[in-house]
Amino acid sequence: MQLTEDPLATLLKAANAGDGPAYARFLHAVTPIIRGIARARARSLPPDQNEDIVQDVLLGIHLKRHTWDEAQPLRPWLYAITRYKVIDAYRKRGMAVHLPIEDYSDVLPAEAAADPLTDRDHRAEVDRLLDHLDPRSAEVVRAVALRDEPQAEVSARLDLSPVHLRVTLHRALKRMAALGRRDEP
Amino acid sequence: MTQTDDLIQRLSRQAAIAPLRPAKLGVAMGLSVLVPVALFLLIFGTRPGLGEAWTNPVVPLKTLLPLTVFALSLALVLRLIRPEARVGAAGWGYGLPLAGAIALWIGAFAMRAPQARFADVNAFSLEECLGSILMLSVVPVLVMLRMLRIGATSTPLLTGALAGLCAASGVAAGYSLFCTRDNPLFFVTWYGVAILIVTAISALVGNRALRW
Repeated sequence: MQLTEDPLATLLKAANAGDGPAYARFLHAVTPIIRGIARARARSLPPDQNEDIVQDVLLGIHLKRHTWDEAQPLRPWLYAITRYKVIDAYRKRGMAVHLPIEDYSDVLPAEAAADPLTDRDHRAEVDRLLDHLDPRSAEVVRAVALRDEPQAEVSARLDLSPVHLRVTLHRALKRMAALGRRDEP
Repeated sequence: MTQTDDLIQRLSRQAAIAPLRPAKLGVAMGLSVLVPVALFLLIFGTRPGLGEAWTNPVVPLKTLLPLTVFALSLALVLRLIRPEARVGAAGWGYGLPLAGAIALWIGAFAMRAPQARFADVNAFSLEECLGSILMLSVVPVLVMLRMLRIGATSTPLLTGALAGLCAASGVAAGYSLFCTRDNPLFFVTWYGVAILIVTAISALVGNRALRW
């Protein structure tokens, strides 16, 4: 037993003894802690999935709340469950993420723009790759990736929604990267 | 956020569940080994002249080595039912029975004439030994994995493996009272193989069954 009782431990102890309101207070109190851990550990997942993970962890705590040994400190138990569930969330999403790219278009990493063009800054080579794209995609790449025009302007000029613009750009760059790789000796 | 708040409200209205009682689970796991083994020995009997055979110091080891592994594995498995638990330094406990088994094997290999070394190994004795340990382990492995699902291990593969190790070594300790082959080259090898097979299968099953 600790000298100064963890308030969370007190709440869960009451909850496990059947005190529903104490249980609700416990879950509310741990939610920001879990959210912080999930955000820190699951940085490579899209932010909108963080809250899903938080809920997975809460559910895990709920289903396994009887496995906390009241004679032991609460935190190691709580962190172990959180860690397990965050890793589990990765595992699940790693195995079954086949979501359409449009869902992620606003969180696609911006640095992707630099990547396919890094070793190919010879204008002719880039132009050759651009010729393989449809005219609108080629213009998007020229404007955003090569001329560094603000995306808002480009989307207004080409009459594309910002989301559509980023998807077009992302796909065009991927296509160019693939074409470039194919040409390599 | 409101979705999460909803979830909390729903969860908090559910009834509390009884706390985990590792000692109770441990007794059930122990019985899951003891009952099938006791039935086996009741039906087929212990080996003739068991007491006399034990005057040879090698023979009791045939029972005591797996019994040590059984006891250690049971303790570890019961520890791992809590998510924060780790095997830690206790894993070194396997060093003693493992060293004992290896020493027995090497000693027997060195002391026996080449043609006497593997004289016991034939299809029938293998089938009897391997087959019995494997068959007798089925129920304890299933019971143990079932019990472990009540807990919340954060290492399903390892916990599954230790459950298999526990079940099979407990069974092997019991089976050794029936087995008449006292050549360590035989029993260390084939008990070991049987235990490892059960451990591997239980690890694979546990890796799926013990997730939560």
